[in-house]
Amino acid sequence: MLLVTNNEKVRAAYESRCPLQFVDGGHVEVLKTVRDLVHKGHKLLTHPLAGSVKPNETPFRSVALTEETGMVDMDSLELIEGALGMLEQFKPRFQRGEDAPPKMREDFAEIDYRLIDGAIAPQIKQGE
Amino acid sequence: MRLELGEIHISDIKLGDCSKVENGTLYVNVEELRALLLEDEDLASVNFEVVHPGESVRIIPVKDVIEPRVKVEGPGGVFPGMISKVTTVGSGKTHVLKGCAVVTTGKVVGFQEGIIDMTGPGAEYTPFSKLNNLVMICEPKEGIKQHQHEHAIRMAGLKAATYLGELARNLTPDETKVYETDGVMSGKEKYPNLPRVGYVLMLQSQGLLHDTYVYGVDMKRSMPTIINPTETMDGAILSGNCVSACDKNTTYHHLNNPVIHDLLEQHGKTLNFVGVIITNENVYLADKERSSDWSTKLAKFLELDGALVSQEGFGNPDTDLIMNCKKLEAAGIKTVIITDEYAGQDGASQSLADADPSADAVVTGGNANMVIHLPKMDKVIGHIEAADIIAGGHDGSLNADGSIDAELQVITGATNEMGFNKLSAR
Amino acid sequence: MSLRVVHYINQFFAQIGGEEKADYAPEYREGAVGPGLALNAAFKGEAEIVGTVICGDSYFNENLDVAKKTVLDMISAAKPDVVICGPAFNAGRYGVACGTVAAAVKDELKLPVVTGMYEENPGADMFKTKVYIVATKNSAAGMRDAAPKMASLALKLAKGEKIGASAEEGYMPNGLRVNFFEAERGSTRAVKMLLNKLAGKPYTTEFPMPSFDRVAPGAAITDLAHTTIALVTSGGIVPKGNPDHIESSSASKFGRYNISEFEDLTAADHETAHGGYDPVYANEDPDRVLPVDVLRKMEKEGKIGGIYPYFFTTVGNGTAVASAKKFGEAIGKELRDAGIKAAILTST
Repeated sequence: MLLVTNNEKVRAAYESRCPLQFVDGGHVEVLKTVRDLVHKGHKLLTHPLAGSVKPNETPFRSVALTEETGMVDMDSLELIEGALGMLEQFKPRFQRGEDAPPKMREDFAEIDYRLIDGAIAPQIKQGE
Repeated sequence: MRLELGEIHISDIKLGDCSKVENGTLYVNVEELRALLLEDEDLASVNFEVVHPGESVRIIPVKDVIEPRVKVEGPGGVFPGMISKVTTVGSGKTHVLKGCAVVTTGKVVGFQEGIIDMTGPGAEYTPFSKLNNLVMICEPKEGIKQHQHEHAIRMAGLKAATYLGELARNLTPDETKVYETDGVMSGKEKYPNLPRVGYVLMLQSQGLLHDTYVYGVDMKRSMPTIINPTETMDGAILSGNCVSACDKNTTYHHLNNPVIHDLLEQHGKTLNFVGVIITNENVYLADKERSSDWSTKLAKFLELDGALVSQEGFGNPDTDLIMNCKKLEAAGIKTVIITDEYAGQDGASQSLADADPSADAVVTGGNANMVIHLPKMDKVIGHIEAADIIAGGHDGSLNADGSIDAELQVITGATNEMGFNKLSAR
Repeated sequence: MSLRVVHYINQFFAQIGGEEKADYAPEYREGAVGPGLALNAAFKGEAEIVGTVICGDSYFNENLDVAKKTVLDMISAAKPDVVICGPAFNAGRYGVACGTVAAAVKDELKLPVVTGMYEENPGADMFKTKVYIVATKNSAAGMRDAAPKMASLALKLAKGEKIGASAEEGYMPNGLRVNFFEAERGSTRAVKMLLNKLAGKPYTTEFPMPSFDRVAPGAAITDLAHTTIALVTSGGIVPKGNPDHIESSSASKFGRYNISEFEDLTAADHETAHGGYDPVYANEDPDRVLPVDVLRKMEKEGKIGGIYPYFFTTVGNGTAVASAKKFGEAIGKELRDAGIKAAILTST
C-alpha cells in the first residue's frame, strides 16, 4: 500500500508501517499527486473525497493507493478527476493546514487521520 | 413481527424537582438527570434549557436529536447494544413521548455545523423547530480527545432520552399505532399479486463523527444485512454522526424513518414490503464494491421487484448510492433513489459527485448550497462561537446585527435524504 | 396603474392567414389581438396588453436580422414593463421566432420576457436555458392552460418578484436548480414514484442525470496503408505564438493549422496553449502531444496512407461541454466532407 498525505499526524502514525509520500502542500496538491500516481498505473484504494467534512473545508487529505502499478485504472482516474472537479466547484476555504486557526487545524488533522486509519488499519494488519 | 407504538402527546416541557408526565406536560428533575449523566467521567458539566416552537431561540451546534421511548412489552429494550442488552427488538409494545426531543449540543471539533432555529425562515427547514426540545449543553473534562468527547455526548443524549422515555412506561397512550410485518414466505402467500419491495438504507460509516451504530456495532465493520422494519422504531440504529448537518440522519430520523413508515402504510395494499437492507458508506473502495454487491445480492435473495434507496451525507457516499442503484437495476430490480444536491449557490453546478443513466428515478431533498438569511434570535443556546466558524467560512457570514447569511447545509436535517421533509428542487 | 405588456404573435394567430401569408412583414397594432385576449383576461386587471407585434414566420426566419431589429424597435417603442411571445405550441418556425425575439428582448432591451411552447418544439431546446419558456400542450387547444401560467410568470417578472422552481411556475427546466416545498414529503413521493415505475406507468424524476453522450465507435480500418489520418487534439498544441489566441482554459474556439510542411514539431515552431498541465514537456517537444513525427515515419514506411494537411486543436481545460460539442461537430464535418476515414484524438 502507498499512502499519500499532507497530514503530519498520518505521517507520524504510518511512516514506519507502509510506503508514504508526504506532500508539502494543500488538499489540492495531494489530489494532484494522487492523480499523477494514477496516471503512472497505481490504483486508488480509498475514496479521494472520504468523509462528509466538505472537501473545501478540510485542508488535509490522505489517500491510499496500491503500491504496485499496472495499466492505468480508468475507475481510479474517473474518481480522482471527479474529486479535483469538486474542489474546483467548491473553492478551498484553507489552502494549506497552516491557514486554518490552530484548534480547527488540529481537529481537521484528527478527522483526516481517523478517516484514513479506519479504512486502512485493518488492511495493514492483514499484512498488505 | 408486530409492534404497537403507544404515543403520549407532549405539548410542553418544564424543569422541576420531580420527573413525570402529567396532562401532556413533561416535567424534568434536572438535578437527578444531571447526576445520572455526570456518572460519565469524561463530562465536566451538563446544563439544560427548554425551548418551544415559535420561540426566538437558536441552538448551535446540534450534535444529535433523540425521541424518548420505552419498551413496555416484548423482548429487549430501547437502543439495544448501546443502552439496553443486545436482544432483538421490534416486537411487543413501545411507548413514545411524541412532540418532544432531547437535543444534544457540544463542540466536538472546531468546524462543526448544525443549527436549529425555533422561529423565522430557518425554522421552516428543520423538522425539529416543531418540537418541544430539552437541550443539553455538555462540556467535556479538560484534555479528553475528540473521539472520547463524541462518545460522551452521544451517550449522554441516549441516556437522557431513555430516562425520559421511562416516565412513559405506565401511562395510557393518547394514540396507538400498530405496525405489522410478514416473513418472506408468509408475505408471499398473503400477497401473491403485490410487487415485492425492499428498502436499502445507507448508513454513514466512515470514521470519527461519521459513524452509525446498529445494535452497538460500528456499521463500517459490518457487512450489509437485513433487519425488520420495526426494529428501527426501538432504536436498533442510532447516529454517531455530527458532520454534514443538513443531510445526516439523526437518531430521531432513524426512530421515525419516513421511508419505513410510508412503505408500512402501503404494505398489503399496493405493495409487499419485504424488509430493510442496511448497508454502509465506507472509505475503502473495495468496501464500497463489496457492500453494493452484497446489498444487491440480498435484494435478489429476497426476490425483490423494486427497491428504494436512501443516502446519508454527500461526496463519496454519492459513489455508494450510484453503485447501489446501478447494480440493483442491472439485477432487474426497479429502483428509486433519494438524495440531495450540491448545485452551487446559483444552482448551476453539477448536483451529484457521481451519476449514471440507470438512476432514472430520483427524489431530491433540495439544493444544500442555497443561501438563506437567518435573522438574529433573542437567545442562542450552545456554543455561540460556532456561529462564527460556520459563518466565517465562504459558506456564509455572520453579520454585525447577529444575523447569519449561510447555506442551507448548516441547518440540521434541512435536506434529509430519507425524504423526511417536503423540500425539493427542480 | 396596470402594467404595460407587449405581445408578439405570428400571422396565423393574428388571423391574417396560414402558410400563404407566412411572408407577412412586421406590423404593430394597438391593444390585444387573438390569443392576447386570453392573456388579458388572465392578468385580472393587474396588467394589460398595450400593443401587439405581428410577424409572418417565414418572413422572420428568412430575414432574421432585419425582422429582429424591426420587431425589437416596435416592442421598445411601446414602452412595455414585460413582453410575452406566443405561445407557439408545436409550430416549429413560430417557436424559433418566439425564442429569438424573447432572447433579444432580454439581452438587448433588458426587459423581462416570457414565451411558451410545446416541449418538442425545436425552439424549446434552443432557448429554454436563455429565457423562461412555459411548457404548453402541442396545439392551440392548450391556450386555456397556458394563458394563466404565462400571465402569472409575466406579472412576477414585471414586479421583480422571486421566481420559484420550474415545477411550481410551469416553465421548462433551465438547468438552474431552485428549491421549493412540495405538497408531500420526499419518502411519500419516492414510494409513489416506485409504484409507478413498477407498474410501467410514467413518472418524472426530480433530478435528471446529466446526459451521457455516448458515441458508438466507427468500424475498424482495414486498409491502413491507403488511409489518410487526421490529427485532432485537446492538448492545446498551436503554432508558436498562438496566432488565434486560443484560451489556456475554457476555450471558446478551436484552431486549424497546416502541418503539411512539417516532418517533426519542435520548440522552435510549436508550443502548447493549455493552462491545465505542466507545459514544459509539451513545449520541449510538441510531438509528445501531437505525434506528427511518428506518423510521418509511418507514412514513409507505407504503414499509413498519409496525414491530413491540417490539424485541429483546442484546449480541453475547463471547456464547456456545449462548446466542445460545437467544435467536434465542425471538425467532424470538415473531415467527413474531405472523405477522411480515420482520425487520432489526443488529450493530455
